[in-house]
Amino acid sequence: MTTASLHGFAKARKIYEDRGLRARELKAEGKKIMGYYCSYPPLELITGMDFVPFRVQGSINEAITKADSSIPTIVCPIIRSSLDMAMKGKYDFMEGFVTAHSCDCQEKFCRIWEHELKLPFHHYIDMPHVVRENSFEQFKEKLIMFQKAMEAYTGRALDRERIQQEIRVHNRQRALVRKLYDLRKENPPLLSGAENLEIMIALMCMPIEEGSIMLEEIIQEALSRGNGPGEKDTRLMLWGSPLTETNLIQMIESLNAHVVMDDICVGTRHYWADVEATSDPMDGIVKRYLSEIKCPRTFRESSSTFEEEMESRFGYLKDFARDWHVDGILLQSVKYCDTHGYEVPALKAYFEKIGLPAMYLEHEYTMAAEAQLKNRVEAFLEIIA
Amino acid sequence: MKGKYFAGIDIGSTMTKVIIYSEGIRGQVIGPTGPEHRHLANIVMEDALAQARIPFEAVDYVVATGYGRINVPFADKQITEISCHARGVLHFFPNAGTVIDIGGQDAKGIKIANNRVVDFVMNDKCAAGTGRFLEVIAETLGVNIKDMGPLSLKARNKVKISSICTIFAEQEVVSQLSEGIPVEDIIAGLHEAIAGRAFRMASKLKIEGDVVFTGGVAKNTGMVKALESHLGRPVYICREPLITGAMGAALLGKELVEKAMESGKAIKIKERKLTTARVF
Repeated sequence: MTTASLHGFAKARKIYEDRGLRARELKAEGKKIMGYYCSYPPLELITGMDFVPFRVQGSINEAITKADSSIPTIVCPIIRSSLDMAMKGKYDFMEGFVTAHSCDCQEKFCRIWEHELKLPFHHYIDMPHVVRENSFEQFKEKLIMFQKAMEAYTGRALDRERIQQEIRVHNRQRALVRKLYDLRKENPPLLSGAENLEIMIALMCMPIEEGSIMLEEIIQEALSRGNGPGEKDTRLMLWGSPLTETNLIQMIESLNAHVVMDDICVGTRHYWADVEATSDPMDGIVKRYLSEIKCPRTFRESSSTFEEEMESRFGYLKDFARDWHVDGILLQSVKYCDTHGYEVPALKAYFEKIGLPAMYLEHEYTMAAEAQLKNRVEAFLEIIA
Repeated sequence: MKGKYFAGIDIGSTMTKVIIYSEGIRGQVIGPTGPEHRHLANIVMEDALAQARIPFEAVDYVVATGYGRINVPFADKQITEISCHARGVLHFFPNAGTVIDIGGQDAKGIKIANNRVVDFVMNDKCAAGTGRFLEVIAETLGVNIKDMGPLSLKARNKVKISSICTIFAEQEVVSQLSEGIPVEDIIAGLHEAIAGRAFRMASKLKIEGDVVFTGGVAKNTGMVKALESHLGRPVYICREPLITGAMGAALLGKELVEKAMESGKAIKIKERKLTTARVF
């Protein structure tokens, strides 16, 4: 089945269920697919080089069988699963693969991928972990290296006008995503948290302009359909590590709660900030990707006290909670995610200070213990009711 | 609430507990949950009804709790064991601030403030440090589980058990037995290991107020002593430490009915039948 006849929610569902579907169709038409990991490789540069960006993810529905021969089981399960799927040929439509030094796990990941998959093009963006004056310069240098590597590979140059044009295309999609999120400010929300995640994942597996058309269709459908998610007592926000499936949110929404907002990289973190228009468009890209994505992988230097620092680091979550009428926060993390685990104590202290109930929920990269997780969420809902 | 009857049923992994409440406890029965999860829950309910001398139809509201609470055909509402334990404990100990519950397959800590649950922690991924752990080791040692507490109090040099994993601890115990270490010293060491683990888990909640110890493991005097030494304060234990969840379920049901009556709304009663609950 092709995606040509599909629109809106149905199209998102289809691509969510078969992530490589659209990419395979495009490859057959002669398009080149560039796989990327995490939210840090600047997509403007990838689309500017006429690659279709494809976000590589793992899957909890796929038992890891091949990757264990490559990397030990102690590492990030999402990375293990992603590599496993690639080794099984699920991403065989990809021409190249690009990662950034977002979390430390990914520092080595690109090389392992290159070693195991041997794609025609691989690139690793060694981006800084801190936001200081000179980090911007450093990051810009690395992005120019990335651009040059793609130019050398394709034999085509990427000029300023084209980058500026790409920035407009991506910013338009970001604005549409924010508009989609506005639909969950309503009570009851006009779409469920699980539907929202499905759409986000689908968007990352298709061309940008096509995704924007799909978003417009979905927004229209959500506004006009009468059968959105019904009334529930509690509105939750979800923070944490990447989700590659909707299972966790579906479990939460099978209870008396809606997930109305998120702070995850297959959600707001990926789409929230626009790239500012700057005379050298690369400066806007540098600023956006280094300092505007709110992921705990970034260290933001501060000379203030712990309390003051928390306000500057987490103030945006307070704004989200207020604007989306959130009753409680689930701090979720997959096991072995150091990046998110180290952020939990400060977040708990912050939410306690501002009086918003928060619970930490740790899960395996399977849904094997779903009953226990559900019990915890249910008890949390009883506490905040 | 004169003349009204409320039932609470707590279907745990090992035991099912039922309370029939009407201005005091009218029926209280503890029976096995059965090999097929929830299989015998309705029989425990029948026994409790017989004790209270009322037919099932006379019960005004039924609340189910515990891991087996889902799909129980004879309950009006399901509430988690976290809320139910806390409510039950408050009935027996109004000044309770922290509950430590160690049951057949899990252990949990609950923090209470102003008569409400404010936080909780759970160890529910494996049976390490729970009643099941003690059962397995008792079998290895050839000791009746009921005798473990009193035996451990006779220990002179309690051993150090380094692993809390049931399988590894069992191996450790076997090797200690072969070294000729007295059984009571080994049991005291096991209690120390479980109590230490429960204490560290509950400490995440910043233990405050009276500490109440519930669940089947609270019947073990050796465990009580070991936990008290970690806490540095006495723990409170109900006469029947298994019953707090069912008691809380009955009382929360009663409060729901009262609230509905006050607001003039009829409470939703399901079309319930006292039959076997089945998972599959």
